[in-house]
Amino acid sequence: MNDRVIDDTRKKADELLVVRCQLGEALAFNDLIAHWHGPLSSYVQRQSLNETTAADVVQDIWLRVFRSISSLRDGRNLRAWLFGIARRAWMDHLRGRYAAPMGAEIDIDTEPSLVTSGEEEVQFDREFVHKTLARLPSVEREVLILFYLEELTQQEIAQVIGVPMGTVKSRLFRARALCREEIESNGGRP
Amino acid sequence: MNTQNGFAKHSQTDAIAAMQRLAETQLSTGSRLAYVGLLLFASTMLAVVVSLWMTEPNLPARTQIAFALMSGIGIAWMGFAIWVLRHRRVMLAGHRQVAGRMAVFFTGLFVLGAGITAVLSRAPASIAALLAGLVMLGVAIAILRSASHQQSRLHARRDQLQRELDESL
Repeated sequence: MNDRVIDDTRKKADELLVVRCQLGEALAFNDLIAHWHGPLSSYVQRQSLNETTAADVVQDIWLRVFRSISSLRDGRNLRAWLFGIARRAWMDHLRGRYAAPMGAEIDIDTEPSLVTSGEEEVQFDREFVHKTLARLPSVEREVLILFYLEELTQQEIAQVIGVPMGTVKSRLFRARALCREEIESNGGRP
Repeated sequence: MNTQNGFAKHSQTDAIAAMQRLAETQLSTGSRLAYVGLLLFASTMLAVVVSLWMTEPNLPARTQIAFALMSGIGIAWMGFAIWVLRHRRVMLAGHRQVAGRMAVFFTGLFVLGAGITAVLSRAPASIAALLAGLVMLGVAIAILRSASHQQSRLHARRDQLQRELDESL
């Protein structure tokens, strides 16, 4: 199967899931959560670097999904629609956090260390990618996450972020360059 | 490493199960239908109160104020129920159809009651309530038809997509 057929099949499967949810099939919501909870959680975790904050934002995302899935017109856009909601929930969380009095919420990078000495290479790579991403500016980090880790197309990213596709391309270009610089400046170490 | 992956998988499974429970609570039919019931009750009460208020001659000022207050309360409850159903307990196609049937059934009962009262008493308030009931019944039938149409469209689309996906595999 070529990429186009695979993409078309994926979009049909997404639309089928949306239609089943819009009909009110309880099992369809279970399938939706089972399929998308992981990608949405990891998207938010990569943005927030704090597990508790991320869990709250992910719950907020799901509440928004339950309340608005009936108004999703084109189920083929499910992926972009979900990440658009995730992005808005994250932005709203940030707005709330910066609006709160200083010291009301401590939300610095408190992610527990997952890596201990002697762990295998896969874990090391994950840590490496995570730390490299964390050093990038948020605008560039976001497009890299959506494009490479969540596998959204440039068009879908444009929908999620709400910018023209040309802007997505230029952000991706800049993000790749920054990422390369970051890796080279550290001699390929995290 | 394996233990850590095991914990991560376990925690992910727990998180998914928690979100599925959240979905179950958020999407329960009972809570939606309770708000549909509230909306129907408030609108029926409003129709009765307004019919009496508009048709009774020479009402004293304090009675007029009481009718206005009761109408305001009815409108507030209707507004609250509509807000919940639009923003908090959004209705899916299946819920809409059940809600539409409930609306037709209860407004139909109201029309029947108002009609019998109007025939027996010939009171202007009963006739006004009958007219209001007929308008509400018309709206309820339109809602039910729209919900049925939407559900049929979604069923057809679901079956078509399922067929196409089965063929492509």
